[in-house]
Amino acid sequence: MATEQSMTVKAPWSAPSLPPTVLWFGVVALAWAALAHFQRETVAILWQWMPHLAAGLRMNVLISALAIAIGTLLGAIVGALELSHRRWVGAPARGYVQVFRNTPVLVLIFFTTYVFPFEIRLGSLYLAFPDWIKATLGLALPASAHVAEIFRGAILSITSAQWDASASLGFGRSQTLRWVILPQCVKRVLPPWMNLYAMITMSTTLASLVGVTELLESAKNASNTVNRTDFTVLIYLAVLTLFFLYCYPITRFTTRLERKYAFH
Amino acid sequence: MPESWLRAFIAAGRTVGLNYAFLLDARERASWLRGIALTAELSVLTILCSLLVGIALAGLLTSGRPWLARPARAFVELMRNTPTLVQIYCAFFVLNMLLNQLVGGAQNNPLTAYAWAVIVLSTHYGAYHAEALRAGIEAVPRAMRESAISLGFSRRELLAHVELPLAFRFALPSLFNNFVDVVKSTTLASAIAVGEVTYASLMIWVERDNVLEMMILIFLVYGVLTLLVSRLGILLENRLRMPGYGH
Repeated sequence: MATEQSMTVKAPWSAPSLPPTVLWFGVVALAWAALAHFQRETVAILWQWMPHLAAGLRMNVLISALAIAIGTLLGAIVGALELSHRRWVGAPARGYVQVFRNTPVLVLIFFTTYVFPFEIRLGSLYLAFPDWIKATLGLALPASAHVAEIFRGAILSITSAQWDASASLGFGRSQTLRWVILPQCVKRVLPPWMNLYAMITMSTTLASLVGVTELLESAKNASNTVNRTDFTVLIYLAVLTLFFLYCYPITRFTTRLERKYAFH
Repeated sequence: MPESWLRAFIAAGRTVGLNYAFLLDARERASWLRGIALTAELSVLTILCSLLVGIALAGLLTSGRPWLARPARAFVELMRNTPTLVQIYCAFFVLNMLLNQLVGGAQNNPLTAYAWAVIVLSTHYGAYHAEALRAGIEAVPRAMRESAISLGFSRRELLAHVELPLAFRFALPSLFNNFVDVVKSTTLASAIAVGEVTYASLMIWVERDNVLEMMILIFLVYGVLTLLVSRLGILLENRLRMPGYGH
């Protein structure tokens, strides 16, 4: 009875318990509706620039997806090497992680952009090496270092008893890793990995500083072309909004996953 | 004496194909050294300011009053889910422009690009510190809080003498992680032409075409700075350790 009662009695302030993501999206939509109402003319110009901005945003999404893919592959390898019992394998891997985690992402993007050649020669074939791919590599390097750390942490979080048990069942070290340890790591890796993806997505704006036309660069171009105070305010607000709408759901989902997996 | 060392260093660099001749040019050397000093200065200033912002935000977040906590939460989420560079542009190209119009021309504007970099980076990382401190405050054992209240501590005293000292210790590792990120983020000031080390190096490699050489130096500068910050964190953790709390 007592539990039943406590279940039916609800505090009045918890009544509109919308998920934060929905709440935020509602607030953003309302704010832009208000802007569209009071600044009709400027919003109309912004609307004309929308295809331009959308093309920019596509570039951000493309760069971030490629960077996390390359970073994950490379990071998984480096993370496994870090755990190797052979000294000459583990030490360079740890050095790699240290260097790329402690260098600013912008510096790495400058590095890949200006140090790498602008085309690659494969026999008699010249392959263009465009700036956006170089920027992607510049983002993939720190991403791989972070992924390596995430993997290493997850693998070390599995108790050593499992390694011993697998060894007693006749599994080798790499077999244990492949069939026993890694499947359990997925849960622990997923939330920080998604956080990393949100971080990389936000870092894709740095590509604008090496001349890649992504969202921020498109906005800057638009603002310089139109050259109106109210339009400049609005277009940067639009960029801020777009990034928020893209990254906030990822962060929320990560927090939910973290809570879900917290005690398992 | 140092001049001859420099020459020896440059000669040694040349044998492995690295061009460090800019070190002999007094003007370029001075601007590059000034870049390092600016990076260090910007880092220290931003760390201190961001900590203040973080404490204020954490206070609002844990105040227990929805009309204070909600806007603070919204601000923190906005700061954490939008790119730092976009925030810098929003401040420098939008707020600064509006401020210019307000005070009547750029010549009357007291805020420089350097000041805007400090302001934006401080508020950005302040949001991250606030989360770390909030988690620290929530990690303070309930019994601790209750016994302080039973001893007649007011809310303010409770915060100042019981919660914050403990929360600070709990939050220390993540705070110093954030500080390392602050040091790394000072490169972003180069986007609005603040002459810190990345920008100063860029100016040199544009003239001399020695990107790789400058990159090695930049790696070293940030390596040393981030190492210093993380060592300081470990030192402080050990110094402040209280038996029975934390690890």
